Amino acid sequence: MKVGLVGNQNSGKTTLFNYLTGMNAKIGNWPGVTIEKKTGMIKGTKHEITDLPGIYSLSPYSIEEDISRKFVFDEKPDVIINIVDATSLERSLYLTTQLMELDCKVIIALNMADLLEKKGIEINVQKLEERLGTKVFKISALKETGIDEIVKELDNKEDLIRAKIFDSKIEDAIARVSMDLSGLHKRFVAIKLLELDTRFADKNTKELDELRGELGKNYDTDLEEIIATERYAFIEDTKKECVKEKENVVTFSDKLDKVLLNKWIAFPVFVLIMFLVYYLSVGVVGSSTVDWVADNMDAFGGWVGTSLENAGASEWVNSLVVDGIIAGVGAVLGFIPQLIILFLCISLLETTGYMSRIALLFDKLFRKLGMSGKSLIPFIVGSGCSVPGIMGTRIIENQDEREMTSILVPFIPCSAKLPIISLFAGYFFGEHSGIASASLYFFAIIVIIISAFILSRTKFKHVSSSYISELPEYKVPSIKYVAKDVFDKVIAFIKRAGSIILICSIAIWFLLSFSFKMEYGVDIENSMLASIGKTISWVFYPMLGQNNWGATVSAIQGLVAKEQVVSSMAVIAGLAEDVEEGSQIFAEGTPFAGITVASAYAFMVFNLFSAPCFGAIGAMKRELGSTKKMLKAVLFQTACAWILATIVYQIGSRIENGTFNIANILVIGVIAIVIICICISKLKKKKDGCSNCPYCDNCK
Amino acid sequence: MVLSELKVGQKARIVRLNIQNKEIRRHLLDMGLTRGVEVKVKKIAPVGDPIDIELRDYELCISKSDLRQVEVEVVKS
Repeated sequence: MKVGLVGNQNSGKTTLFNYLTGMNAKIGNWPGVTIEKKTGMIKGTKHEITDLPGIYSLSPYSIEEDISRKFVFDEKPDVIINIVDATSLERSLYLTTQLMELDCKVIIALNMADLLEKKGIEINVQKLEERLGTKVFKISALKETGIDEIVKELDNKEDLIRAKIFDSKIEDAIARVSMDLSGLHKRFVAIKLLELDTRFADKNTKELDELRGELGKNYDTDLEEIIATERYAFIEDTKKECVKEKENVVTFSDKLDKVLLNKWIAFPVFVLIMFLVYYLSVGVVGSSTVDWVADNMDAFGGWVGTSLENAGASEWVNSLVVDGIIAGVGAVLGFIPQLIILFLCISLLETTGYMSRIALLFDKLFRKLGMSGKSLIPFIVGSGCSVPGIMGTRIIENQDEREMTSILVPFIPCSAKLPIISLFAGYFFGEHSGIASASLYFFAIIVIIISAFILSRTKFKHVSSSYISELPEYKVPSIKYVAKDVFDKVIAFIKRAGSIILICSIAIWFLLSFSFKMEYGVDIENSMLASIGKTISWVFYPMLGQNNWGATVSAIQGLVAKEQVVSSMAVIAGLAEDVEEGSQIFAEGTPFAGITVASAYAFMVFNLFSAPCFGAIGAMKRELGSTKKMLKAVLFQTACAWILATIVYQIGSRIENGTFNIANILVIGVIAIVIICICISKLKKKKDGCSNCPYCDNCK
Repeated sequence: MVLSELKVGQKARIVRLNIQNKEIRRHLLDMGLTRGVEVKVKKIAPVGDPIDIELRDYELCISKSDLRQVEVEVVKS
């Protein structure tokens, strides 16, 4: 049997899905967490269940609604479980009235029943069943109560008669239209035809036009509005009959929003929260644990080396294990404590409901940049990993805004870039490493703002869309789910270290240990990797101030996974001769010895903005919809990275040498003023034009 | 009067949706912004836009530019 799980955004579908299937799909407290459908088997049965993205209606206007509609028509589910947020029944039942028009069994799960009493709401389930003509169950997906009854109900035959909800004129029209139809979901299609739904436009006929005109006359508006209004009228009636409510009280969320959305404190609080997230993960946990793990890794490597020697292993096996595998994989595993804190913070932001407030807070600002307030959510998720960040752009309705956000999300330092930042900042900036790494985040934000500003006025046509989003109440996050979420992400990171990073480390070791003549144990300067690196190292000359093959090949490996940059550097440094102290990457004698503070910062900047890893590139291709757009985006990112890194080095190295003089400052100043003037004039033009007008489609 | 002119705490009844963009109009209808429904302005974003309104027992944030096209009559509470 095929079962579909349908409900509003943020109604707890995925929580129910996870319980029913025993799976662990991602949940959160902001509208739009589930962006693709997921399928699993209900535990202890042979029923296949599909978790669909949250929708408010079966209209054709968003990707999510389209996915759900296709599911209903193409996959022909036998049963639909409609999960309804019992605490906001009125809005939730609107979707129910549409599902009731489908030719399949509908079961209603009144979720969050545990909160009803607290809110002073009483729902008469039996009456509701009679009114709607579907089975209704009170459940709590979070507390896992009442769900077994639904599973049992799946096999029962439906014995209730669906309610007719419209007034007689419209019901007559529906009956007339559906008589001429064939196939599935006749009533549903008939209503869509009356509404002049774009997806069924090909089935439109002259008679339908006449029918619509006739009906419209009676109501002084079009049928789309009449049908929506009547659905809600039916729901209001139903609610009056089945629900008893206490007067509204000021909720905890309202009180909290008084502070978090306060005119004066909202932004400082936001900055403080974000600062805390990164300070905790990069600053506090960062430096100390990374050193500790690195020391232990060294000791472990040494111990394994001696053991292998004693066991009589040949020199190259020893080198492969110690200098290749342990150095390479160990270099990235050291960052796990940082990642745990970062993932934990992001998970908390997602589950508490603060994410929706952030979108609200920044909508106006982001709109100026051609994005939506909702764009901020992908950016924050992207600071964990770009892939879910890029996929999360689907919550944005406008296509231009969506594409632009998915191109810019990789600019935010993701958790895999954290090792690069920590390594360089820690070595070159010593006690100021916290400030150095924080400065990169601010650098990223500024670059995103400037890029968005330019892109929205050149590449994308800057059609301002609207902001329509539910504001969920704050929730205390479930410790169980947060723990699971963090655990899963960390495991994924470790798995990557054990697979991709491991293979790359072995490959790098091989390319470093052999020359093109297949001689083992050559000086790494004569190795294959060095030869390859030297032919292309000129590309990085402007930002490193030297032809550095080691940095060159490492940066390119960032395509595989960003943490591979660190891993590669560790293997190269480990194999370099004359290295005195274990795996000190920047020690005298390694190819990285020539890196200065300026080139270190430039190298970080390059890795931060250049083409993301293959995973993120793939996600970008999916969201942008074509390989061509994806290639353009990657090119744009890499060009940005190269130019910015070069500027950083050219200015930085001059400051370092003390040759940075007034003439330099003047040149930069003039360029900056010109750019600012151009920006202001463009903005002004906009202000006089359309920005104050309500929508018309003329600007399109 | 239009919905964007209301102050925090004020209640109003929807008279007519004059929204040109078909997609946005449909979206707002789906979210329950139909004729005759009573709404209340709950919060306004710190920078003045979007506006959070309460209707049908939940809260919905909508851009000012859309609310400017929603005709309402104020309800005295």
